[in-house]
Amino acid sequence: MKKIIISFYFFSVILLLLLSYLFIDPNFFYLKSFYTGIYFNQREIVTTAYVFLISSFFVTYLYIYKMFSEKRIRKEVIKRIIFLTCLILFLSYPAMLSFDIFNYAATAKTTFFYMENPYIVMPIEFINDTVLQFMHSANKTALYGPVWIILTAVPSLIIGFSNFIALIFGLKIIVGVFYFLTLVILWKSSRDWIPVLLYALNPLIVIETFVSGHNDVAMMFLVLYSLYLLSKRKFYWSALLLLLSIFIKFATIFLIPIVVYILFLQIKKQKINNEKIFYYSFLSMLAIFFLSSFREEIYPWYAIWFLPFSFLLYKHKVILIFSQALSFGLMLRYVPFMLTGTYFGQTPILKIILMWTPFIFILLVLGFRKIWLKNFYL
Amino acid sequence: MKKLVTLIAVIVFLIHTQSAFAQSAYVLPYPSSMPGSIFYKINTIREKVARFWHFGDFSTFKYSLFYADKYLVEAKTLFEYKQYLLAVNALGKSDFYFKNIYSSLLDAKKNNKDISEKLEIYKSAADKHKEILEIILNNTPNTFSWNPEKGSRVDLNIKAAIENSIKQRNR
Repeated sequence: MKKIIISFYFFSVILLLLLSYLFIDPNFFYLKSFYTGIYFNQREIVTTAYVFLISSFFVTYLYIYKMFSEKRIRKEVIKRIIFLTCLILFLSYPAMLSFDIFNYAATAKTTFFYMENPYIVMPIEFINDTVLQFMHSANKTALYGPVWIILTAVPSLIIGFSNFIALIFGLKIIVGVFYFLTLVILWKSSRDWIPVLLYALNPLIVIETFVSGHNDVAMMFLVLYSLYLLSKRKFYWSALLLLLSIFIKFATIFLIPIVVYILFLQIKKQKINNEKIFYYSFLSMLAIFFLSSFREEIYPWYAIWFLPFSFLLYKHKVILIFSQALSFGLMLRYVPFMLTGTYFGQTPILKIILMWTPFIFILLVLGFRKIWLKNFYL
Repeated sequence: MKKLVTLIAVIVFLIHTQSAFAQSAYVLPYPSSMPGSIFYKINTIREKVARFWHFGDFSTFKYSLFYADKYLVEAKTLFEYKQYLLAVNALGKSDFYFKNIYSSLLDAKKNNKDISEKLEIYKSAADKHKEILEIILNNTPNTFSWNPEKGSRVDLNIKAAIENSIKQRNR
């Protein structure tokens, strides 16, 4: 059984890697030889394959978690699964679900190649730049904090801008490093392998990090490390890391009240209840996650803001079920656009319905189970 | 009948205003705070700080264009209020920034950046500036002597200053 589950898990991951290459943009001339046009001509088939793979990815992930919590899988096996998953998905085409990684590269190019302030000059202003052929938000100035832009200097200066593919994968390495550092800090904060596993193999987190290369993991690592240092009474380092985290993507500004609360407890020499801190952090990040819908819309990768805290609180079944169901629902948000190719019409409402469907479904199942148990066994 | 007259008047007004807009598509900003105001001092500090934030050729282009426009509007307002000394000063600042716009474009070209779009903006800005400067020229005296309560008399050659500004924008 164990081998079948793990095989099915890797079957999903490998097929997801292959599926990603069907999404190559016809204007992305660097991978012209890989372009098939299947995604644009056979949307129904590609979307069905995506739904099937995401579902099997989630189901096998939950089975692995169950087997690990029942001590049917060793830690060493989990480590190998994590490493292989990351390696396979790292190789995928990055703009399968989001074009943000192109924005990171374009912002880095504006800053380190054209030597312009990316908060003033937009990529679209560099007429005839090849990046404009395939990027989607060329008419926007930098959307991310200065710390993220500085971090993108590492692959930009090492790889340069002549090899765009290498630069994209260089950016993926940066977020990958932060992903692994987050695993370390989750282990240090909990001394428990279950939150590490829940985070490391969660399909939303691995896809958004290793396929799309989103920088949210970098922001979350810094804030988790900041909270960890705060519990060790290293105030200055903690403050510095919190500041760095805020200047990656600004969302962690919502954790400042919690940091102030911990400081207050430290000054009063009161005992800090880690679980309470994680719970408040979870609620704060969940609040900013939902509030993001007022700015634009809820993007699936925003779940990375609250998922680490919900996995640290995995013993609270309601939080765990809610987080897992929501992360599955968020991956389904991609389906309407994938199927129709438009952001308008029925797409926005379908996104909301699909996002909540798994959670509502689980609630109904649990409700019926409770009624059934009450009527027939009690 | 009254309604019909009103309607015709509105239509004539709209047509007329449309033709006025057609003179130059380039839009200048509203006048900001004027010399003597506390906000003017704050804006001067902001202007100096913003210089560091606007690194890069295109950023410098935007910065210089913004302040060339801002000081031109300031000069126009001050000329209208007959504050000639301050107006000539503001015009000098606008000239300084206008010169910088062109040098930032030359730097961008030197750095292999496509400046065609920015050059168009530069040309329309120059046209609009000339349009405003000619209005000012027709409505101000050629010379003016400023007699401050403390200090010596200042003779202003307003015509020469404005003509010099127009000449700069003709380049």
